[in-house]
Amino acid sequence: MESHTLLKESQIMKIHYITGIAAIFVVAVHILMRLVVPFELSLEYDYIIANYKNLVYVLILESILVLISVHGFNGVRIILLELRQSRAWENMVTVVTISAMIALIAYGTRTIILANGLG
Amino acid sequence: MKEIEQPTRNNLEGIGGWLNPSRYGWERISYWFQRLTGVFLLIYFIGHVYETSTIVNGQNAWESFLELTQTVWGHLFLIMVIGASTFHSANGIRLVFTHVGIGLGTPGRPDYPYSPASLNYRQKSGIWIALILSAVAMYYGFNVLFGV
Repeated sequence: MESHTLLKESQIMKIHYITGIAAIFVVAVHILMRLVVPFELSLEYDYIIANYKNLVYVLILESILVLISVHGFNGVRIILLELRQSRAWENMVTVVTISAMIALIAYGTRTIILANGLG
Repeated sequence: MKEIEQPTRNNLEGIGGWLNPSRYGWERISYWFQRLTGVFLLIYFIGHVYETSTIVNGQNAWESFLELTQTVWGHLFLIMVIGASTFHSANGIRLVFTHVGIGLGTPGRPDYPYSPASLNYRQKSGIWIALILSAVAMYYGFNVLFGV
């Protein structure tokens, strides 16, 4: 059958594993930022805004957003393709999951930009 | 050239097949938990992105939203998230190793009672380690969130 996909499934699976493992590291840093101060203090408005002003932390937040969105929505795509197989279903699932992934990344990036004060 | 129609090969059992407990073994529990925790974590992540977006509306909006989430039930939900993310990560690492052939052992002759050679003590230990790490992480999260 003629292939219409941009990437092979084996390549997508590698992306899935790489994004998953990379996410473990950046999420660990994100959690540590909550634990280096008392938990209640870590949720205070001024502390959070100070986090968003830190460029290194902003890059970590953006990478968490991209890595988990790619990993998560590809995971949903895999589950949905396991449940049912046909050309139309695969195309629909791919379009919906990629659209949702882009929407979530855009929405999260908007928060990061506005909270950083760049917007 | 006209494309040959491919017959659909729908998984007729669907989600009901996942939920059928009569065929649960070690691998099946791991398979089911990996997907269940994955979907749960994605739903949490979408909610978390929305929750944190309230900070751009100012301090009052942020604190109003915190009042909704910083409750006993909110903390119990977070402990579930901690457990799910720890299991998903640890079991995911086991699956990556398995996919590249690490921990599978050597192929064996299929003798009665036909125990799969690939489901050896390394794989079972990996699933147990993921479950134990989840329990430890949830206990730690409980101590942090409830200040025990």
